[in-house]
This record gives sequence, C-alpha cells and structure tokens, in this order.
Amino acid sequence: MLEALRAEGITVRFGGVTAVDHVSLTLKDGEILGLIGPNGAGKTTLFNALTGFVPAGEGRITLYGQDVTRDPPYQRTRAGMGRTFQTERPFEELTVLENVLVPAFLKTKGRHEARALALEMLDQVGLADRAEQPALDLNLARRRRLELAKALAVRPRILFLDEIMAGLNPPALREMIGFVAGLRTQGLAIVMVEHIMQAIIELSDHVIVLASGKMIAEGTPQAVTSDDRVIEAYLGTD
Amino acid sequence: MIRHFTVLGIAVLAGLAYPHLFPNALTIAISVLLFAGWATSWDILGGWAGQLSLGHAGFVGLGAYFVAIGQSDYGLAPWWAMMLAMIAAAALAFAWGRITFGLRGPYFTLSTIAVAEILRMIAINEGWLTGGATGVFIATLPEPFGIDLFSRVVHFHMALAFSVLTVAIVIIISQSRFGYQLRAVREDESSAMAAGINPVVVKLKAFMLSAALVALGGGIYGIFLSFLEPHILFYLFLSIQIALTAIIGGRGTIWGPSIGALLLIGSGEIFRAAFAQANLLIYGLLILVVILFLPRGIFGEIQRRAVRRRYARSTQG
Ligand SMILES: Nc1ncnc2c1ncn2[C@@H]1O[C@H](COP(=O)(O)OP(=O)(O)O)[C@@H](O)[C@H]1O
Ligand SMILES: [Mg+2]
Repeated sequence: MLEALRAEGITVRFGGVTAVDHVSLTLKDGEILGLIGPNGAGKTTLFNALTGFVPAGEGRITLYGQDVTRDPPYQRTRAGMGRTFQTERPFEELTVLENVLVPAFLKTKGRHEARALALEMLDQVGLADRAEQPALDLNLARRRRLELAKALAVRPRILFLDEIMAGLNPPALREMIGFVAGLRTQGLAIVMVEHIMQAIIELSDHVIVLASGKMIAEGTPQAVTSDDRVIEAYLGTD
Repeated sequence: MIRHFTVLGIAVLAGLAYPHLFPNALTIAISVLLFAGWATSWDILGGWAGQLSLGHAGFVGLGAYFVAIGQSDYGLAPWWAMMLAMIAAAALAFAWGRITFGLRGPYFTLSTIAVAEILRMIAINEGWLTGGATGVFIATLPEPFGIDLFSRVVHFHMALAFSVLTVAIVIIISQSRFGYQLRAVREDESSAMAAGINPVVVKLKAFMLSAALVALGGGIYGIFLSFLEPHILFYLFLSIQIALTAIIGGRGTIWGPSIGALLLIGSGEIFRAAFAQANLLIYGLLILVVILFLPRGIFGEIQRRAVRRRYARSTQG
C-alpha cells in the first residue's frame, strides 16, 4: 500500500509552550489513524501543523513522497489534503449548496461540473434536501456533516477530521461512525482526532496518544487503551 | 443568470429611452449611472471579497486625470487614455494589495484612505503634470465617427454603457469559480484555504478588477466634467459616497449598488434642489435608517428573504 503521509519530528512552540514535541507518524492509503489525548495535549496543534494551518518549527512532512513542509494550507489542499475544523466554519452567509460549491470548484471544470459534485457530496452526507437552506440555520449535527461534505468536495486523498463526533447524540454518532468507515472503503487515508473512545476503537487501525505535546504511546486501539501510561495520562494528571 | 441579464436588458432599454423622455434631466442621470458603476465596481472588492476600501476616489481621479492630461499634453485620444488609466489603476491596486492584504481588519481600509490622499497630494503639488490646485481643463476632444464628446447625451450613453458593463461583469462573476472564491474569502479565510483557495491572490484579483473599472468610469467622469479639480476628484468624501452607495444598496449583491445609486444619488440631488440646507440632514437620516433596520442593505435584505422563502417553499413541497 502507498504511503500517504509521513511526518518526522514535528515540533510546534507557542512562545514558551511546546504544544507539539517531536512527534513522528506515518499513514498508508485506506488506513485510519486515531489521535487521542487529554485536553490541551496538542492534538489540534499537531493536526494544524500537518495541514499547514500552523507552521511547524521543526520537522518534515511528506505527502505521497512530496515534501510539503513549507507549503501553505491551500497548496496542501491542492496536493490532496482535506480537513474539517473542530469548531465548524461554514460560510455563514451562503446556502448549504454554495458552501460545498466553493471547494467543489477546486477539482472540477466549470460551474455545472462543480454543482454536480457539490450535490453528490451533499447527498453522501445526507444534506441534499437542505441544499437551499442558509448554512447559518443548520443545527450542530448537520453543521458537522456540512464540514464533511466541504472537506470531501476537494477530492482529498487524505482526510483530516478534528472531533467530528463530539456532542452528537447516540444515533447521530452511530451514523457518523458508519459514514467514516464507508470512506475508508473508498481508499481514503484518514487522520482522526477524537475524544469518543467508541469511535476510536471501532475505526482506527492505529492510534497515537499525545500528552503535553509528546507521543506517549502508539499501537492498535486495544493495545493503547490498556497501556498503563495512557490510563495514567487520562486519569492521573487531569 | 438569464434572469439577471433579462433585467439588465430591460434596464438598457429604459436607459436608451431616457434621453428622449427627460432631455432636461441628463446631468442627474449621468451622476446616478456613474455612481452605479463605481459602486458596483467597488463592491467586487468591498462586498464580494469583503475588503472595505475608502480610497476608490483615487481611481476615479486617476481615470479622469489620464484622460485630461493625455488629451491636453499628449494629444492622446480618451479611449487610449482610459485604457492606460485602467492598467495604471490595476497596477497600483496590485502594489498596494501586496503590501496591505497581509494586514487584517481595519488596517487595509485605513491604508486605502492613504493611497487616495497620496494621489491627491501628487495632483495638487506636481503642477507641471497635473495643473496643480487649479486643475486641468479639457479644451478639445476628438470626434470619433462624428460623435461630439462634449454633448450631454453622449455622456449619458457613455455612463450608461459603463454601469451596464460593470453589472454584467458582476452577474458573470457571481456564478463563476472566482465569485465563489470571493465570497469564501469574505466569509472565512481559513475555511477558504481548506478549500484550496489562496486568499491573498483572490483579494488581489478583486482589487485590481475593481480599481480598473472605477478608473474607466473616472475617465468618463473626466470627459463629463471637462474641468478637473484635485480637491473634488481624489476627495475622501467621494470615496465614502461610493462605499455608502454600495453598502446602503446591499453589499455583495448584483443589484444592490445600482439601487443604492438610484436612491442616494438620485434622491440626494432632488433633496438638494428641494431642501437646500437640510439636504445633508435628510441624507444622513436615510443612511441611519438603512443601517439600523436593513443592516445588509436594501437589496441584501430583499435577497435574504427570498432565499428563506424559497427554502421554506421547498420544504413544504
Ligand atoms: N494559538 C495558540 N497560541 C498559544 N498557545 C496555544 C495556541 N494553540 C494551542 N495552544 C496551547 O497548546 C497546547 C495544545 O493545545 P491543543 O493543540 O488545542 O490541544 P488539544 O487539541 O489536544 O486539546 C495547549 O496548552 C494550548 O493552550
Ligand atoms: Mg483540540
């Protein structure tokens, strides 16, 4: 299988705080990497360093063998990364369809093709019947799905999902887990930051545990969740 | 898109009939049309891309001065001068945007005031080129195909063509990839980047197009005035008027700026005639009412309600 993503020695500092401290990881096509850790562990920061939204002070990132360490976020998107935002960021004044049209224009020719792709993405996430609704009016679960549709509309090869399960009620959570599992079968590589253990255990092939910016454990979901250091990081210091 | 072009076509027909119906009210119509074109062009940057400029009078002045100086000093026909002015305006916008689009929030806006001021200073102080504080006078103009460029009816048709051109461009943009990039950058730059958009490039394109179109209108204004004074042409008040026209009418909408021009400039002229001293007060009240009750501008509110109605209908059916 093709190596989708490789990160080596990623370090991000905010003033005196080292939010991410020499973290390395690799990811293959069709694989799901779970990123867990207590609040403030540096998950979102690592996620942003990988997608280019926060500059990495040290380290190297390659995307399908291509060095993207110095590339701004929009170039990484064009190179095959798609992402969601932990706090959803819809284009508020636009309708649901228009929101997805923006990314849909990236890999299509002309507005008819873009529109067809956007509608297809909305259909995939189950928002097709809300295409004409102002994005501002969506509830949380639907805003999440809109984030997903936007991330998918750039036709990514690697998808970065930042806590898309948080705050969902049990049926919505089940649906979302099923949806992400479906994406994997399409061959997408996925990096997933998640607090919901059920989702991590059901979906991840591989899990990385961060605490205070450092990687303290990695392995299969089963191995990681029974690791003493991990249990301590979650229960001990919080 | 077809619907918008149909409306535009009707507006053109009405425009063509106007000089025959109201031959004595051409000057006010020229003002309205020029402001409609300027505000529509301003709105590409200010409304669609969300970058508030208070320096667009600088581009009006640039267009007018290019035409006047080109004619009086170099014998350059106005259409060539206008083309040069558009290129110069776009180049200036590019240079200025490169420096300032890294800045967030009000800094870009403040910097645009500075550009127009610098141009005004040049117009006033570099008398050898610009005629200085007294200004420049256009004494002769060529007569292409026997058309008298000093005639009010011709000015009217030029202003009509200008405003129609700007609206047509915005109609096309609104449905295009570029139009969605503009709106995305306005709404959320991070989210736009996640969609593969480089916000600085999009804002630069918007600024350049907006500046070039305003300069074109400025060239027509120069011909219309035939006597140019730097105090009026580069004045902050003109920049504010252009911005307000678009804001009151509805930022980031196809028809908002034109509606704003009709209302603000049209009624402004009528109030000035009818109420003399009180006209500024009425003008101010009008602006206040719109800002308080229609924060998206007149057409912005109409459009928003239409979107919600359409959605409500679609859920019933
Ligand atoms: N923009 C920032 N400026 C300064 N400190 C930050 C910034 N973003 C995150 N941090 C700090 O970096 C650490 C990691 O934060 P974050 O990556 O959000 O953690 P997580 O997503 O795991 O909860 C925290 O201590 C946080 O306060
Ligand atoms: Mg986080």
